[in-house]
Amino acid sequence: MNSTTITVEDLTFRYPGSDEPVLQSASVEINAGEFTAIIGGNGSGKTTLCKAFNGLVPHFFNGTFDGRVSVGDTVTTESDVSELSRTVGYVFQDFENQLVQPIVRDDVAFAAKNHGLKDYQARAMDALEAVGLKDVADRFIWELSGGQQHLVALAGVLAMDPEFIIVDEPAAQLDPHNARQTYEQLREIQQDTGVGVIVIEHHTEFIGDYCDRLAMVADGDVAWAAPVEVGLNRVEELLSADIHPPQVTQIARQLPEGDGTLPNGRFPVTVEQAVDAFPTATSKENQPVKSDGGGSNEALISVNNVTHGYPTLREGRKTVLDSFGLELYAGDRVALVGANGAGKSTLLRLLTGLESPDEGTVTVLDNDTNETLPEELAEETVYIHQNPEEMFVEETVREDIAYYLENRDDPNVDERVTDVVKFLDLEDIADRDGRLLSIGQQRRASLAIGLATDPTIVLLDEPTGSLDLQSRREVTQMLSRSETRTETVVVATHDLQLVAEWADRVIVLGPTGILADETPQSVFEQPELLEQAHLRPPQVVELSGRLGIDSPSLTTAEIVDRLTTQEGR
Amino acid sequence: MGYLDALRNITIADIKVDLMRTAYDNDDALLNRFDPRIVIIWSAIFVVVPWFFYEPEPLFAMLVASLLLAYLSQTSIYLLGLLIWGSISNIGFIVILSSVVYWWEGGSGGLQGAVVDNSVALLPFTMKLTVISVVSLAAFSAMSPKKLAKGLLSLGVPRPFTFAIAYGYRMMPVLLEEYHDLVNSLRLRNRAPENRGLLRWRYYFYLLKLSIKAFYPMTFNVAKRSRVTVEAMETKGFSHSLCNEDSRELRLGDLEILPRDVTFMLVSLLFVVVVAVFL
Repeated sequence: MNSTTITVEDLTFRYPGSDEPVLQSASVEINAGEFTAIIGGNGSGKTTLCKAFNGLVPHFFNGTFDGRVSVGDTVTTESDVSELSRTVGYVFQDFENQLVQPIVRDDVAFAAKNHGLKDYQARAMDALEAVGLKDVADRFIWELSGGQQHLVALAGVLAMDPEFIIVDEPAAQLDPHNARQTYEQLREIQQDTGVGVIVIEHHTEFIGDYCDRLAMVADGDVAWAAPVEVGLNRVEELLSADIHPPQVTQIARQLPEGDGTLPNGRFPVTVEQAVDAFPTATSKENQPVKSDGGGSNEALISVNNVTHGYPTLREGRKTVLDSFGLELYAGDRVALVGANGAGKSTLLRLLTGLESPDEGTVTVLDNDTNETLPEELAEETVYIHQNPEEMFVEETVREDIAYYLENRDDPNVDERVTDVVKFLDLEDIADRDGRLLSIGQQRRASLAIGLATDPTIVLLDEPTGSLDLQSRREVTQMLSRSETRTETVVVATHDLQLVAEWADRVIVLGPTGILADETPQSVFEQPELLEQAHLRPPQVVELSGRLGIDSPSLTTAEIVDRLTTQEGR
Repeated sequence: MGYLDALRNITIADIKVDLMRTAYDNDDALLNRFDPRIVIIWSAIFVVVPWFFYEPEPLFAMLVASLLLAYLSQTSIYLLGLLIWGSISNIGFIVILSSVVYWWEGGSGGLQGAVVDNSVALLPFTMKLTVISVVSLAAFSAMSPKKLAKGLLSLGVPRPFTFAIAYGYRMMPVLLEEYHDLVNSLRLRNRAPENRGLLRWRYYFYLLKLSIKAFYPMTFNVAKRSRVTVEAMETKGFSHSLCNEDSRELRLGDLEILPRDVTFMLVSLLFVVVVAVFL
């Protein structure tokens, strides 16, 4: 069992060209053998702090460095990044760009080879086995899914047998299912080898479920470091840094005094703890289940008996949709959910007309996509990309929004652009280059680009991906507001909180086709269905189930209401 | 319209997979079995050898041999086709131009005779170019990225360059996908020309313009990616490995010249001798 410690004493660091130091006299101690989470608001310096552990600060980023950081007996200023990386591994947030060799095995062995370690093959295979990817050792990197690539990046770090592993925001780039897989692997590795795991994370629910300690970085300093149960209870401080505590903690706070707290006086931070702490509820009378639309409204989109797939490098032609049929109506708020590879993005692309189905027809607003050019379909249907950067083609957001209108020689371009900019609160960033904005701002901008065309149908691919809770709330609000300007909105998403709060029709896709087409309420009542589609319900839904509430609450407000009226009786 | 569109859809996705197969699926390629240094030296030799011949017969034999090699190396049909079309159209243009000038100047034999004469005259030259292109295409597409990098490194090419080759192979599919997505994204926001023109030339011209427009966003995205890559490379000890002997040893340790490599070289040279003497 290692007992190495990373010690940071009075660390002050300023990036070259910046006026203010990012870190000011920061001090903290992190032990190997523990699972530590580091949280902080945007720009608080948490990433810089972690990069100080492996020497990137100050050897790679040549700023002004004061103070002392030591890993065990080694002082970082006296060593270099290569040496320090043997003890402190780093998995970047953009993990895809950390993978530099074409074949998985080679990438995992890359660091070991660079250091001239003769047993690089064995190290690579051991690392791959530790993350459960032994079978794909000889595949190409791009053939793997996002979750698998993240694990390969992790394996690459493990191959060097480090004493600490730093993982930068695993839940940001991965969908919830894969993020959870990664956390499970990290916990397993931490328990098996006693390595110290440090995660930078915004999603407090993962922190509550997996971490031992929590350190908060604010204003360039480590404000405090405490065990997780204590840390997540400091709700005011978390909220002031725009970090939302787990749903169960938020629920517990809103319950009347005394209910909802654990015997030691603290709020619960995991569903398990909440089940112990909360009063059980008897079920209320069932609310009538809303119909899933259809019948009276006209079908704007119909997919008829479509079979579609794509050619792969080694496995011949892969079929994603088989004899698939679907109708979407005016006024629908549709959420498409399902595991990766179930066909959500494929379906959306077929609706834009960029791809024609191998068999069958797709009709959008009475246009057959086989017969109509996507440019023409785009006059009524708008597709908002999963990666908002792919929508930026001009130099400022304003020009991007105007692009479509200018191409069609619209007479009121400026007016319409100003209107959309105001509608989505983009005045501050309208004159900046889209690619330089933060991800939350980029998503709003891409939504604006779509809305400017005054579409009838809006298709969104993962609109809340990589966003922190605050920004996700904003996007949900934007979607609700844009109802007034469109008829049908279809969202492909993994974010079940978005589904719970916004959708009125949920279509669950699985390997065999549509598994369910119902209201969110009724979908959340079927845990086996969610399990099958690799979906994890929000904590509030899980909690409802565990407390014996028949039809699960979808929002925290609802469940607080249920539990307090319980008490009132 | 539907049929043509469907054909085009299949073609783009299938072309992508075919190109990828050429670059990456090298397990069964003949030339991949040999030591990469031999293959590199061999292709260097055979890029020069055709220039020593002037008669069409030996050149034709070499052309057939090189096409056979390309087939055995699983070279992409599309690439080969493109290459051959390039050669023929290039020479064809010269033939036509020179024939017209000759006939215009009142040369004997008329236009038809001129074309025939010129084609025959340029035939050896065409064949030389084609042989050289096919040989280099076959050799480089047959070798797996790893082998290519190793071969070049052991022949003295600096490590940063050979790393760049491996990195390029790793990034290529990703960039291809992104580029395709960008072009699609542009299509959805542009207006296709109303009048398609003869054989839809206007439409294809418009697609061409979009393809060019998509380059800038793509290069910008690549630049953004490389920020993280450079940092990650540091943490993987890359700069450390540039001057580390052990590391180089590990990389090149398993390269060895086997009897079959020597045989391959000798057989090729023998073939050339036979062709020279008997044809």
